[in-house]
Amino acid sequence: MLPADSSRRLVAELRGALDACAERQRELERSLRVSRRLLRAWDPAETPAPEPSPGRASEDPAAGKPASPASPAHGGAAPPRTVRGPPPAPALPPRTPTPQELKELELLTQALEKAVRVRKDISKAGQRSKTASLKSGSQAAAPAPATAVPPGASGRAGSRAAETRPSRGGCRASGPARTMTPGPQATKTGPGLRDQHEPPSADPHSPEVFRLKEKGTLLQLPSAYRKAASLNTRLWTQLSSTSMGDARDAAAAAKNRFLQTLQAAPASSTLSVAEVEAEVARLRAACSLLRLRQDEVLAADPGDWKQEYRRLLTLDGLGAMATECLQRLQDLRTVVAEQQPEPWPEGRPPGTPLPCGPGTDPLWHPQRLLYSSTRELQALADLRLRVAMLKQQLHLQKVLMAELLPLVCRTEPPDLALCRAAHSLLCEGGQHFLCVLRDEAEPVD
Amino acid sequence: MGRRRRGSGAAGVGALPEAIAALSRALPGGPSPETFRRAKFDRPEAVPALRRLLLGLLSSLPEDGAADPDGQARLLRSALCARGYPRGARLPESGAGGSRELLLALAWLLAREPLLERLLARARVQLGDEVTACQCELQARPCPPAHGVDTEGPVDIRFLQWLMGKLQIRWRTLASSQWEHCALLGQIHAYTQGCHSDRELGHLSVPETEALRDPEGGQQLLWRLQCENKRLEAALQWRRCELLFWQWMDSVLVTCPPEEASRPPTPPRLSGLLLSPVSRELELLSRELQTLQEGLREAAGPLRVAWEARAGARGPELEAWQQMVQMAVTRELVALKQTWEHGRAPPQPHGPCRLVQSQAAVPAGLGLQAAELMGVLRSQEACLEEALSQLQAQCQQELARLSGALPGLLWILPSHGRLAPTPSGTR
Repeated sequence: MLPADSSRRLVAELRGALDACAERQRELERSLRVSRRLLRAWDPAETPAPEPSPGRASEDPAAGKPASPASPAHGGAAPPRTVRGPPPAPALPPRTPTPQELKELELLTQALEKAVRVRKDISKAGQRSKTASLKSGSQAAAPAPATAVPPGASGRAGSRAAETRPSRGGCRASGPARTMTPGPQATKTGPGLRDQHEPPSADPHSPEVFRLKEKGTLLQLPSAYRKAASLNTRLWTQLSSTSMGDARDAAAAAKNRFLQTLQAAPASSTLSVAEVEAEVARLRAACSLLRLRQDEVLAADPGDWKQEYRRLLTLDGLGAMATECLQRLQDLRTVVAEQQPEPWPEGRPPGTPLPCGPGTDPLWHPQRLLYSSTRELQALADLRLRVAMLKQQLHLQKVLMAELLPLVCRTEPPDLALCRAAHSLLCEGGQHFLCVLRDEAEPVD
Repeated sequence: MGRRRRGSGAAGVGALPEAIAALSRALPGGPSPETFRRAKFDRPEAVPALRRLLLGLLSSLPEDGAADPDGQARLLRSALCARGYPRGARLPESGAGGSRELLLALAWLLAREPLLERLLARARVQLGDEVTACQCELQARPCPPAHGVDTEGPVDIRFLQWLMGKLQIRWRTLASSQWEHCALLGQIHAYTQGCHSDRELGHLSVPETEALRDPEGGQQLLWRLQCENKRLEAALQWRRCELLFWQWMDSVLVTCPPEEASRPPTPPRLSGLLLSPVSRELELLSRELQTLQEGLREAAGPLRVAWEARAGARGPELEAWQQMVQMAVTRELVALKQTWEHGRAPPQPHGPCRLVQSQAAVPAGLGLQAAELMGVLRSQEACLEEALSQLQAQCQQELARLSGALPGLLWILPSHGRLAPTPSGTR
C-alpha cells in the first residue's frame, strides 16, 4: 500500500487525465452524432419544403413564370433544400409560424411535390436515357415552358450560375400573397398533368428523400447567412489587425497613464497568483526551448574546429541560462513557501489559462487549414492525438517518478510487488511486467 | 455629468457617451451606459450590474443568483487580488457599495489586456469545422480535481495500474472515434463541393450543412451570427473612441477620496488550493532544469577538451575571431530568451483553423497546408518520444541499482535480457 498523501496525489492526477480524455470523447461523440445524421437521409418532416422556390421565382426578373417548373429544374427529383431564411424581417429570432403560414406551407409543399413527381414522370417518359443522373436529367428533360433561368443546380458551374441569379435562398418574399401566387398555378398544373401520367409514377416516396451524397451539391446557403458570414469575417479581420494608427497610439498612451496612476498605491512585495502562474509558464517555456536548442546543437554533425568552437560556446551559454532559470525557480519556490495561504471562499480559483504561452496575442483571426484527402485528414488528426497523448504520458511519468521512486528505494525490507509494479509503470508504460525469481541457494537434490 | 472636452482631435462632446455606449454593447451582458455614469459618482444602484459583469469576466463559476451579495463581493475581491489588482484593499467587502471601485477594477482589466477581443474570441460563433493548429491548450497543467472529490486513504499500487490501463483504453477509443469522425467530415466536404458562396472555401462545413438540414437551427445560427457582428462592430467603434474613455477614467480616479491611512492595504494572498500544485510543478520543473544543466555540462566537456588541445598558436586574429563568435552566439541566445520572456509569437501557426478540403496543389497561399502541420507535429512527436524514453531509461537505471542491492533475486525483464544478473548466493 502506498502512503496516503502520495496516493491522493497520484489518484488525483490519474483521475484528472481520465476526465480530460472523457471530455474529449464526449465532444467527439457530439460531433459524430451530428455528422452521422447529416449523412443519412434527411427527415423531410424536419425540413419543410422551401418557400424560396416561389420566392426565387417571384424575384426573377422574368417573373410570371410559374414557380413549379423552376424548382424541379433546379432540384431534379426533389425540391432543393435551401434554408428558409428568417421570415419577413431578417433579423428576427426564431418565432413560431402562424397557422396561416403553416397552411400555406402545407399547400405549397403538396403542390411542389406533385409537380416534382410529374416532372419526373415526364422526363422519364420522354427521355429515358438522359434520366440516368439527376443532374443531366434536370437539365435536358425540361419540357415545361423553358425558363430563362439556367437550370443550374447541378455541379459547380450550375451552382455558380445559380448564384448570379437573384435566387436568394433566403426567403425575401415580400409577403404571403406573393408566395401564394404560384401556388394555385402549380396546383392547377399539377393535377392536370397528374391525371395523364398517374400510371407511370412508380415510387412516390423516393423523390422526397434527401441524401447528402446524391444531392449535396444542390444545397445553397441563404443570402442572409451569406451576408452575415462575410461581414463576420471582415469584422474579425479588422479587429485582429494590429495596425497602429495615430488614434490607437494615443489611446495606448492614455491607457498606460491610467494604469500607472492606478498603481500609484505602494506596490506589495508579495506576488499574486497570476504572477506566479505567469512566471511558472515562462520558466516552463524556457526549459523546453533550451532543451530544443540543445538537441539541435547536439544533433548537428561535427564540422571543422570553428564550428566546434561555436557549438561549445552555445552549449556554455545554454548552460548559463539554465542555471539562471534554476535560480529564478528557487527564488519563486521560497516566495511561494513563505506565503500564508488564505482559504478560498468557494469553487476553484479563477484564472484564465493563457493559450499559447505567456504574453502571446490570444486574438483570433480567420485562418484556414487545407487538406487534400480524407486519408490526410485522418493522419493529421491521428498525429495530433498522439502528440497530446505523449504530452500527457510525459507528465504522468514525471509525477509517477517523483512519487514512486522514493518509495520503492526507501522501503525496508523491499516490497517486491511494489518494485515490480513500479518497474512496469515507470519503465514499460504499464505495458509489460518483469518477473522476479528467488534464487534459491539450496541445490535441488 | 463630468464630461470634459479634452480636444485632442476626437469629435466633440458627443463622443464620450458614444464610447461608453460602444463599450457597453461590446461587453457580454454589458451594463448600460447609465451604470457607468452612476458608478463614477459611487452610486449604489450601479453595484449589482458591475459586480455581475466582473464576476462573469473573472471566474469560471456559473452565475449563481442565490449567492448573497456579500459572498459575491468577497469572491470578487479575492479574484482581483489573485490577478494582482493593486487597489484590492479598497474594494468593497460587503455587497452594498463601492461602485466606483468596481468601475476602476473594470478599467484596470480593460487596460491590461485586450479583454474585449479575448471575450469575443472565447464566445465566437463557429461557422466551420475547426481544428487547432497548435496543442498549446494542453500545456496548462492538468489541474487536480476541485476539493471535495476524494480524501481517500492509502491505495494499492494495483489501483494505479488499473487507472493507467483504463486511460490507455480511453485513448484508443478516442483514436477510433476520431478516425470515424474524420471520414465523415471528408465525405460531407466532398459531397457539398461547389455549394459555398465563398469560392475560396468551396464546400460547406458541418455547422452550415446542419443549418440547412434543420432550418430552426439555421435561424438560431444566423441570429447568433448577427449578434456577434453587432458586438464586433461595437468593439471596433470602441477602439476608435478609446482615448476619450481613458481620459474619463482619469477623471474618475481624481474623484476618489484620498488614501485612508487607517486601512493598510492587505497584501494579496496565494490561495491554499493553488499552493500545492504550484509547488509540485516547481519541483518537477526544477528537476528538469537540473537534468538539462547537467546534460549541457556533460556535452560541453569533450568539446572544451578538444578545443584546449587544439589551441596552438593564439594570435590576435584568433582572439578577435573568438570575440566575434562569442558575440554572435550571445545575440542568438538573447533572442531565444526573448521568446519565452516576452512571448514572441512562436514560429509555428497556432489557434483554431477552419478545415477546407481542396485538391488544388498550391492554393495561392490561402491557408495552412495540412502537410506542413503534420511535419511540425511529427517533429514534436519525435521530441516527446525521445524525452519519454530518456525518463524511462533513467527509471530503469534506478531500479537496476536497487535490484543490484538485493541479493538472491533474479530480475527478468519482459523482452530484453536480465536487468542485472545478481551474484547468486552460495550454491
